[in-house]
Amino acid sequence: MPKLELFSKRKTNNFLLDHMIEILLLLMIVGISIISPAFLTKNNVLNIFRNMAMKGVIAYGMCLVIISGEIDLSIGSQVALSGVVVAWTSKFLAEYGIPIEYGALIGILLALAVGIFFGSFHAWARDKFNMPTFIISLATLNIMYGLAALICKGFPIVNAFPKWYVFIGTGKLFGIPVPAVILVVMFFVYDFISRKLDLGRNIYAVGGNAEAARLNGISVWKTRLFVLCSIQVMCVLAGIIDSAQVRSAAFGFGRGWEVAVISSVVIGGTSMLGGIGTIWGTLIGILFTGVIANSMTLLNVNEFMQYVVNGSLMFGAVMFNTYMKRKRN
Amino acid sequence: MSILRTEGIVKDYPGCRALDDINVSFDSGKVHAFIGKNGSGKSTLVNIFAGATFPSAGDFFLDDEELHFSNPSDSREKGISTVYQELSLIPYLSVAENIFLGRLPKKGKIIDWEKTYRLADELLKKMKVDIDSHTEVYKLSMWQCQVVEITKAMSFNPKVLMLDEPTSALASHETERLFEVIRELKKQDVIIIYISHRLQELWEIADTVTVLRDGKFIGTEKLIDLSHKNIIHMMFGDVTPSVRPDDLPVHDEPVLTVEHLTRSGKYEDVSFELRKGEVLGIAGMLGSGRTELLRSIFGADPFDEGTITIGDKVITESSNPIRMKELGLGLTPEERKSQGVILIHSIKNNLCYSCIDKVSKNHIIDEKKMTAISEKQIEDLQIKIADINSPISSLSGGNQQKVVIGNWLNNKPTIMMYDEPTRGIDVNAKGQIFQIMWDQSRKGVSSLFVSSELEELLEVCHRILIMHLGKIIGEVNPDDLQIDDLYAICMGGSI
Repeated sequence: MPKLELFSKRKTNNFLLDHMIEILLLLMIVGISIISPAFLTKNNVLNIFRNMAMKGVIAYGMCLVIISGEIDLSIGSQVALSGVVVAWTSKFLAEYGIPIEYGALIGILLALAVGIFFGSFHAWARDKFNMPTFIISLATLNIMYGLAALICKGFPIVNAFPKWYVFIGTGKLFGIPVPAVILVVMFFVYDFISRKLDLGRNIYAVGGNAEAARLNGISVWKTRLFVLCSIQVMCVLAGIIDSAQVRSAAFGFGRGWEVAVISSVVIGGTSMLGGIGTIWGTLIGILFTGVIANSMTLLNVNEFMQYVVNGSLMFGAVMFNTYMKRKRN
Repeated sequence: MSILRTEGIVKDYPGCRALDDINVSFDSGKVHAFIGKNGSGKSTLVNIFAGATFPSAGDFFLDDEELHFSNPSDSREKGISTVYQELSLIPYLSVAENIFLGRLPKKGKIIDWEKTYRLADELLKKMKVDIDSHTEVYKLSMWQCQVVEITKAMSFNPKVLMLDEPTSALASHETERLFEVIRELKKQDVIIIYISHRLQELWEIADTVTVLRDGKFIGTEKLIDLSHKNIIHMMFGDVTPSVRPDDLPVHDEPVLTVEHLTRSGKYEDVSFELRKGEVLGIAGMLGSGRTELLRSIFGADPFDEGTITIGDKVITESSNPIRMKELGLGLTPEERKSQGVILIHSIKNNLCYSCIDKVSKNHIIDEKKMTAISEKQIEDLQIKIADINSPISSLSGGNQQKVVIGNWLNNKPTIMMYDEPTRGIDVNAKGQIFQIMWDQSRKGVSSLFVSSELEELLEVCHRILIMHLGKIIGEVNPDDLQIDDLYAICMGGSI
C-alpha cells in the first residue's frame, strides 16, 4: 500500500526510518510468536481484529478529524449513548407491540440521527463561535455520558436485541468475525475517501492551512461538517458492535476510549497539527496497539500495566514523529 | 558623544548580495533617518546592528570598539536597543511589568513590586509623558504603546536606539505626540536611527538621512539641504522607462464594475471599472485599504455597502470565495506563506487546490489529469522545481508565488487579482510575473494589481488608481508621469 503522495518524496531515502512503525509491528509479531506459540494461531489473530474493530472504526474517523486540524474527545460517550438509544427504543417500541426485530432497526436509525446531530453541533459551534473542538467535544463528552445514564436510568438494558443485531457483534462471515469484516471494509471506505475523493483532498487542505483553503474556494464548513459527523457515525457503529457483543447496553461503555483511539492515529504517523496523515498508517497504529494489548493478555501481564505501556507508546510515537519531521526538513 | 560606524559591510544570501561594501556612520544627539525602498538592504543592516544576523564580511564599531554579535541579547548588552514595528508588549500586564519583563526587581526571591513601579515611573517621567505605570497595556492608545516600547528600550541605557517604522500604525495627531518624545530623547546623547517609509515626516523629526539602494550605500545628507524630490531620486535612481509591450489589447466592455463599495474603517465609496484584457493597478501606501478592498471583492472579507458587478451578475451583499471563484475571479493573497499556499503539501497539490472540482469526475480525483495540468503550468510559468511531489516549502519565494498564480490560472479565471505578488522575490522572478500578467491580458484575462512598489505599477499597468486612507483619490495614466510624481501623490494624498 503506497503512502499518500501528498508530501512524500519528502522521505529520508532510508527505508528503515520511513517504515519504522510497520517494521516494529513485524518485529513484535515475530518476537511474541516465539515467546507465546498461542499468538500466531488463526483464532487469536481473528480475535485481535475483532477486539480492535470498535476502536478501529472510530480511529479511521479520528484520523480524518485530526488531519482536518480538529479533534473529537466525545467519542466514548457517543459509543455508550448509541448503544443505550438502540436498546431503549427497541424496548420502548416493544411495549406498543412492535417486535424487537424492527424496534432495534428503528433504534439504529435514531442513534444515527443522534450521532449526526452531535457531529453537526460540533461543526456548527466550531464555525459559528470559532470555539476549539477540543473544548466543544469535552463538553459534549459529559453531556452525552449524562444523557446515556439518564436514558438507561443507571442500569444496563438487557433483552432488547434481536438475533440479527447480536450477529453484528458475535457472528461470523465465512469464518471471520463480523466486527473484523467491518474493520476491513471501513478501511477501504476511508482509504478511498482520503486518497481518491475531492472531499479527501479538501480535508488535507483545510488541515494544512484553513485560511489558504478558504481563499482557494474550498468550503471549510462543509469539510469540517463531514469529518465531525463521520466520526460520530463511526461511534454509533462501534456502539452497535459493542452492545451486540455483550447483548446489553450501559452508560459506562466506551469510557476513556479517546486515549486509545488517538494513540492509534498518532502512532500511525498522523500529525496533531493537521494536514498530514494516512488511513493506512492508522490501520497499522490500530494493529500495533491491538497486538500489544493481546500479547500482554496472553503473557498474563497485569491489566493496569497495559495502561503504562500504552501511555509510553503514545509518547514514543509522537516523539518519533517529531524527530522524523526535523529529519525530513 | 558616541559614534556607530561600519567598515565595508557585505552580506551575501544565496544568489543575492543584500549589502555591498557599506560604510556609514551615525553620531549621537541626532535623529538619523535611514531609508530605502523594499529590497534595498535597509532591514538587513538593521538586523546586523540588532544581532539578528551577521555580516559576511566587514566590521562595525561602536565608539571604536569592534562589535561581534551572536544573538540579539549581545547587541543589547553592548548598548544597541531596537524597537520593532510589531510591538512586543503583553496586553494584560501593566506598563511597569512590560518594561521590566524578565528582569523584575527582586527582594531575595520575591518580586519587589514597590521598586518595580517606582523605577518605571522614573523612566516614564524622564520621557516626559503622562502614563501611569500601573495601567494595563491594552488600555493604552497606539502612540502610548510605542512610547512604552521606547521606554523599555531606553531602560537598558543604550547608546544606540533603533526605531523601525514607529509611526506606521499611528494617526497624525499621535505621530506628533511620539515626535515630542523622540525630540526629548535627543537631549540624552543617544544615537537614534529612525527607519520610516513616510517621507514627509522626515523633515519634522530627523537631522540627517542615509539612503541605501539595491544593497549599496547612496549617501548621507543633512535634511535641510534636501527636497522631497532629491530623496526620491536617491531612493530610486534614474528610473528606467516603462517596458510594457504595445500589443496588449484592452476591450471596451467592463468585466468588473465596483460601485460605492464601503467597508467602514477600511475603505469607503470605492468605484471603478475593469475592462476586458486590462491590467489595472492600485497604488497606495500600507494601510490605504487596498488589500481590504481586494479581499472584499473576492468575498474573503465582508463589505457594508455598494455593489460589485461581474458580467450580468450583480452582488449587493458580502459574498464568499466559493461564489466569486465560480464567477471567474482569482486572488493571489498578500501573505503568501500563511494565505497563499499550504506549505507542507506538494507542489502538485498546491497547483490544483483552486480547481479540485475540475480535476475530479463524480468527485473522484483524476490523478493523471492533475499531473498533466500541473506540469503544463510549471512549463508555462517556468517554475523551477526538482520534483512535482516535493513540498512547496522547498521552493524559493519567487517560485512559490508562481505556484500560487498557476493554481489560479488552472481554474481559468476571467479576472485575476494580485495583492503584492512581488514581495520578497528576486528581480528575475518579478519580470516573469509581469510577463504572466501580460500573457493573460493577451488572452483577454483582466488583472487587478496591487503593489507598494510604485515603479512596478508604472511598468506593468494600463491605468493606475490611487488609493489614500481608504479612498480612491484619482486615476493616472502611467505613460504621463514619473515615479517621483506618483510617489508624491501616494504619500501626499492629492493629485
